[in-house]
Amino acid sequence: MNWEQLKTILWLRWRLTRNQWARSGGLGAVIAAVVAVSMFVLGGVSFAGALLGGIFGLGEAKPPVIMGIWFGVTVAFLFLWLIGLLNELQRSESIDLQRLMHLPVALGQMFVMNYLVSHLALSIVLFVPAMMGLGLGLVISRGPAMLWLIPLALGMVFMITAWTYCLRGWLATLMSNPRRRRTVIMGITAAFILLAQAPNLYFNVILRFGRPTPGATSAEARRQRDANKSFNQEKFNQLVAAQKFIPPLWLPVGARALAEGRVLPAWLGTLGCFALGALGLRRAYRSTLRFYHGESGGKAAAQIKTVATPTATIPTPAKAGTRFLELRLPAVPEQAAALALATFRSMLRAPEVKMAWGTSFLVTLILGCSLLFRTAPKLPEAVKPFIATGAVAFSIFMLVQFLANQFGFDREGFRALILSPADRRLILIGKNLACLPVSAGFGVLLLTVITVWLHLSLSVLLAALFQLVALLLLVGLVGNLLSILVPYRIQHGSMKPTKMPGLAMLVMMVCQMIFPVAMIPAFVPPLAGLLWEKAGWPDAVPVNLLLSIALAGVAGLAYWQMLAPLGRLLQRRETKILGVVTVEVE
Amino acid sequence: MSPAIETTNLTRDFGKFRAVNQLNLRVEAGRFYGFLGPNGAGKSTTIKMFTGLLAPSGGSMRILGEDLSDPRRALEVKRRIGVVPENLALFDNLTAREHLTFIGRMYLLPPATIRARCDELLAMMDLAHEEKKLTLEFSHGMKKKLALAAALIPNPDLLFLDEPFEGVDAVASRVLRDTLKQCVGRGATVFLTSHVLEIVEKLCSDVGIIARGELVHQGTMEELRRDGSSLEDKFLAVVGNGEAEAQKLSWLEA
Repeated sequence: MNWEQLKTILWLRWRLTRNQWARSGGLGAVIAAVVAVSMFVLGGVSFAGALLGGIFGLGEAKPPVIMGIWFGVTVAFLFLWLIGLLNELQRSESIDLQRLMHLPVALGQMFVMNYLVSHLALSIVLFVPAMMGLGLGLVISRGPAMLWLIPLALGMVFMITAWTYCLRGWLATLMSNPRRRRTVIMGITAAFILLAQAPNLYFNVILRFGRPTPGATSAEARRQRDANKSFNQEKFNQLVAAQKFIPPLWLPVGARALAEGRVLPAWLGTLGCFALGALGLRRAYRSTLRFYHGESGGKAAAQIKTVATPTATIPTPAKAGTRFLELRLPAVPEQAAALALATFRSMLRAPEVKMAWGTSFLVTLILGCSLLFRTAPKLPEAVKPFIATGAVAFSIFMLVQFLANQFGFDREGFRALILSPADRRLILIGKNLACLPVSAGFGVLLLTVITVWLHLSLSVLLAALFQLVALLLLVGLVGNLLSILVPYRIQHGSMKPTKMPGLAMLVMMVCQMIFPVAMIPAFVPPLAGLLWEKAGWPDAVPVNLLLSIALAGVAGLAYWQMLAPLGRLLQRRETKILGVVTVEVE
Repeated sequence: MSPAIETTNLTRDFGKFRAVNQLNLRVEAGRFYGFLGPNGAGKSTTIKMFTGLLAPSGGSMRILGEDLSDPRRALEVKRRIGVVPENLALFDNLTAREHLTFIGRMYLLPPATIRARCDELLAMMDLAHEEKKLTLEFSHGMKKKLALAAALIPNPDLLFLDEPFEGVDAVASRVLRDTLKQCVGRGATVFLTSHVLEIVEKLCSDVGIIARGELVHQGTMEELRRDGSSLEDKFLAVVGNGEAEAQKLSWLEA
């Protein structure tokens, strides 16, 4: 690629960005500028902070401390990088190579350019300056030998980004089959959640068995503590030894060696990181070329079968999936039931929804396990109803992004809803019913865990169940309103909203932030129960339960009363919603 | 008998750009109407307004005798129309049969009718062997055929088809043409847009031509034939091909 072509490509990238900004309005451009400046400032601050820390805080520190700090920095960088990876699993090329393959440009250079642009991530902006600052600070405070930390840190970053780029390319190949894509996304999400929760499980579940037994004598407790201490020291030593075999952790190992005056480990680590990184980048390039040349779908292509054209119409029995869509829901109008079942089935198959629901479920499961493995805390009885209500609110809150944007996942399918002759009230009911199994399911699951853990009384449990009903109705109502007023399109295969006008984005963010306000009424019954008890009035009156029943009734009435006006509002705004949820973004 | 479609000064603006300018159109019931025009002339915008996918900026229209701007009447109209919009209207994560079942239920068809029509439509569109595929895995042609099946399932009185033959294979295209003729034969009205003049010439009883948002010709195919000109001649005459012929590529002339 010659200089003119490079200039043209840069111009293309700039025009694409500029047009995106222009399309998202003036506010969008301002927000983009603010984000860019903030990232720049953040990078500067992290550099300065780490530099000062290195100069004044670590001059006299022992080598294991230096190693620990670099270990922390590395792990934090990897964690943030992993979040970025999860957020955008597939590689999104800054410049789509496929659109340039028929042009006389060198793809290798384009590939490198795209790879370099992929570094514009928060983890890089935040941590690379911090690593550089820390390295320079240590050079100033401990001597020039520490200078090896700079190439070592850069090598580690290069290795991670190169292999991530390779992984993203591989995932893109894998996900070119839209069905396989769902499994990949779910698998990676589950793996990430389990990885992120590993410390929680380790400390709260596994290490719990090593804690002094309650009721043990002081001598026994001391003996147990000593045993634990030596056990922990042994584990720490094993962890330090294991670092040598985990390439990203060569950085803390090298830092410790440099602090001890040994240069060779850092030198070898640097070479190793750069070699591994180069290997990853080479692999990424080759797999990218294969992907674009269509050489990676051999198996899929081989599976294509020749299908004879049917010569006659033979009525076939309905398949299981279709039978589900043919179900009649008792007391639910036909069109609402059809929409509820179709939406539910559709969401169960959508990778982005499965990812979000899977996350919520796993978090609930891990949280529940952590709670159940602990002994029940001695909480005052008065607090328990609030915890039950909090659990209910938490379960609903995890679904806010669905309830507040019920049409964003339909994308082109929303057009079918507009064209349908269904009363718009029934569309709203159908959409709410589609989320019901999951939202109610989470609530009941959490309540079960809390009930077992805290030994909730039947009255508190029933009150919480009525609060769950009330919240589902209230949140459904507010969700309907927000779905109509501030819809946004969700990209296929991710939970990210596509680019939208700045003002709409701001309104959407504010609305979702204040969404929990809709949950406040649920806390009124336990609060009233507490006040009743404090006032010393008869205990026999289950105030919490009675008020929860009343709240559910009021919420039901409010939902029913608001359905007609919201249906009319939906009908008035449906073409605007269509414009938002079907907009394709480059 | 009231016309199937009647518009008075129907207009649609996108900012300062006027996509459809004071359209006065009348399509009698039971006719096969072809709506033609060059790219960007306003065909899809017009169909979107007719089907409630886009609100007009001005003017009025009556579809099957009803005013679409009245929300209650709009739903009544939608019960009687079938639509294949420009960008289709499919749910990504449903199979073809599931999508048709869903549409059938939204039109309140009895379950047995839905099943029977699904079977027939899927066989007719050659989608019966793709039972397990989700629509997101469909090719463009398959999606188009499914959208056509969805438009046909309620057996509508009025069909709006935006480029129905684009991307559809020859076999399905032939079956579709016969089906549409059958629809018209039983009294339904078909309003379609197409770039393929031959198809319109063969199928349609009436034709309207729109250019730069304005209706520049409206009449029956019989009138056209009486003049002794083909649809292509008429199209080029009213849309204007003089400029295109005058413009030559200088570097190809040598």
